[in-house]
Amino acid sequence: MSKAQLRFWGVRGSYAAPFSTHLGVGGNTSCVEITAGDHLLICDAGTGIIPLGNKLMQQDKIREMLVILTHYHWDHVCGLPFFVPAFMPDWKIKFFGPGDNSALIEEHVAAQMQAPYFPVGTETWLAEINYLETQSNGFQYGPMKISFSNVHHPGITYGYKIELNGKTIVYASDNECKFIEKSIKHRTDEFNEEELALFEDMIHEEHQSESKLFKDADILIHDAQYTPDDYDKKHGWGHSCYVDAIDTAIGANVKELYLFHHDPNHDDASIEAIQKHSNEIIKEKGSSLICHIAKEGMTIDL
Amino acid sequence: MGNKRPTVIGVDNSPSMKKLLERSMENLDIDLTMFASAEEAWPYLQSNRPNLIVLSIILPGKNGLSLLRDLRQLPVHQETQAVIVSSKDYVQDRLVAKDLGALEFIPKPVSMQTITDVVVKYTQANLKNDNN
Repeated sequence: MSKAQLRFWGVRGSYAAPFSTHLGVGGNTSCVEITAGDHLLICDAGTGIIPLGNKLMQQDKIREMLVILTHYHWDHVCGLPFFVPAFMPDWKIKFFGPGDNSALIEEHVAAQMQAPYFPVGTETWLAEINYLETQSNGFQYGPMKISFSNVHHPGITYGYKIELNGKTIVYASDNECKFIEKSIKHRTDEFNEEELALFEDMIHEEHQSESKLFKDADILIHDAQYTPDDYDKKHGWGHSCYVDAIDTAIGANVKELYLFHHDPNHDDASIEAIQKHSNEIIKEKGSSLICHIAKEGMTIDL
Repeated sequence: MGNKRPTVIGVDNSPSMKKLLERSMENLDIDLTMFASAEEAWPYLQSNRPNLIVLSIILPGKNGLSLLRDLRQLPVHQETQAVIVSSKDYVQDRLVAKDLGALEFIPKPVSMQTITDVVVKYTQANLKNDNN
């Protein structure tokens, strides 16, 4: 069993929020580091990967890593142009993410580093870079077994399951859970009884499908960008309300949920209120789920 | 019209959606074949050109848009008619579907009449008791 740890380097969604009112939770966008012995896995490359890169430059034990990307929206890749190890010749970096083949993954990773948006391209990266081919059944990275599923977000987006040291960690940074259920409830008047009966089954299938990825996870890191009020206005934007994330986690028998991908409009006080309400919901439901707010710098021993 | 019945392929892993598609088309003079994944549909599609493909996006394994992209690489499927019926209703997915030549993008939940109308529109299918 490897000594393993998870650390949050960026917990925001949409855009970085380096405001004095937000720094208790943190302002960097999505990036989570998982280390197991000498193996380094990085989940997403938002601005959080920049301080992670700077920390890596201060040590000489690790020179290789795998970066898995949920998708290519800016808040998940915009740290890469400033990720120092990529520009150093003695590093090896593998990338994996949505894409029909490795060339397409490379194209998506490189796209943001092009004139006139950025002065240098990925051809200036001196590290040995490899883009992994798509693998339908997942793959092994050192002691970590990594698998993935399509989740509910604009464009093709993955949720990842990482099995390590007998624990299951699920990283679903961007996922609008219960989308069908909400859509049906918004449009009930449009359908006849037979259709509504089929849609009840469809809601059940949606819950089962979500449960499949999250089932029995020891740690679920999940999109919780919206409050119920936000979600009323932003249904169909590709993110979850924290109430739905909690409900989904309970349904999937998750042990610990980390609310993640916080809205940049939510300051520390707002997120503290989310934490309080989350604990009330869990208590009301009589669930044993432990719910945390993912915060920058937070570490978990695995 | 020729005598050959139009062929419609559905690719969706939802059993309730399979039922809805079957019910939507049960009065049409067509052959409907359902597949639960892109991987299941692929061997059939390599050697058959249906009149219409009804395709979901979120599937186990390869997603529906990637399947459509792969199909467009095959000479036989460069112009095969396809419509997307998906629980995803995002502009980004609509644009990709349009680029891949999808004729319609219909968000779930969808009524049976909508499916029937779309199938008739693109296959000119007759009703089963219609001799025209």
